[in-house]
Amino acid sequence: MSYGLSVFKADGTLGFSTADVTWQTLDQFTVAANASVSNSYSVATGMTIIAMRQLVNVPPTSQEDYAPDVTISGTTVSVAPQTGLASSQCIIVVLAQDT
Amino acid sequence: MSYGFEAKNDSGKVIINDSIENLHFIGKATRSATTDSDYGDFPGYSSSNDTLDGRVIHTYTISCSGTPVAFIKPVDYARWHGIVKQSVSGSTWTFEVMISGTSTSNPPVIYCFVNADDIPSSSETHGMIVYKSDGTTKTFDSRRQPLAITGGGTAIAPSDPTNTSGTPGTTSGHAWNYSVNDHDFRSSGQYTAYSNTVINTTNTMFACPSLAQACYKRQMHGYKRSCGFLGCCCQDHYSTAAWWVMYRSAFRIRSGNFDAGWTGYAAGYSFSSVFESGGWFGGGGGSYSSGTMPYTAKTINLQSNAYIIADSSRYD
Repeated sequence: MSYGLSVFKADGTLGFSTADVTWQTLDQFTVAANASVSNSYSVATGMTIIAMRQLVNVPPTSQEDYAPDVTISGTTVSVAPQTGLASSQCIIVVLAQDT
Repeated sequence: MSYGFEAKNDSGKVIINDSIENLHFIGKATRSATTDSDYGDFPGYSSSNDTLDGRVIHTYTISCSGTPVAFIKPVDYARWHGIVKQSVSGSTWTFEVMISGTSTSNPPVIYCFVNADDIPSSSETHGMIVYKSDGTTKTFDSRRQPLAITGGGTAIAPSDPTNTSGTPGTTSGHAWNYSVNDHDFRSSGQYTAYSNTVINTTNTMFACPSLAQACYKRQMHGYKRSCGFLGCCCQDHYSTAAWWVMYRSAFRIRSGNFDAGWTGYAAGYSFSSVFESGGWFGGGGGSYSSGTMPYTAKTINLQSNAYIIADSSRYD
């Protein structure tokens, strides 16, 4: 390339460069069963935010296991049980990408 | 900004800065020898629509600080994959990965990434580290391979996981002891496709936890009334046949597409037949059951979940 940034690995091969695209991690947290959480990320102003949910310790064949709702409004990510339902423990990974 | 570090890519988008952490590759999770393969068909049943998708559960572990983001790199791209469970004990994370089919060969490879500040220490003396303004929290460390993605967004499967149009239900009026399933519980045709031209079936890996679940049942009630000479000593005969499948959301990589669909996770069949006592004839009957449906028929957690696509070959 004629300009930009290239970061090479110890073996000399290219590891990462300004030709790449990525998602960065704003936050990772675990929401307890039936809990609600709301976090704001001002550093991500103007960025696209997505949240990845993963249920923890699912007892898959014995009961209904509800994931919490995730709502993203601007730079605020809110996690709460689905209306009228108990929610299970859930891992939340909040990712941001410049837009 | 007045100080710090920021790198933008060729499209002018920030990919490294001193305020948000990048994900870095920490290794491939180790697969345990134990696998659980089942549900290629309904247990205890053998007639029409007996065949199911089947599923295999592989278990993987990796030790690390922070919460790993796990990518599935299929070995057999024709099969559906999903992480159905992620738990931690101390610093050891365990993943249960479901794939469709009953063959335990070709388990997927699980690539794990953590935040820059959670990557293991390195003895390498060359590279580039970016710290937050506190001077101690890393946002980028080239000594561990940073995550570069090739696509992503949010994905959601169709609400009906069964191949036959419409979800199955209960019907009456069948002949006594009738037990022929008329619903295709497989999910091979039930998916939402998300196109992305860079997706291939050689190196593509994805991160997208299995969130949605569903349970559906086909139930048939049979009946017969039999009477003796001149209508005396009548007997009522009842039968119930039921087939159920529990599903988990699963995903498939096709050339140019990321598919959000389903795979059967558990299944059962039950049959009962009884006849009442009638005059000279005694009552009786029998039943069989291979398991109980976990909950009443419905689809739950059917919400868009984030997914990320990346090239696994950069981390080999």
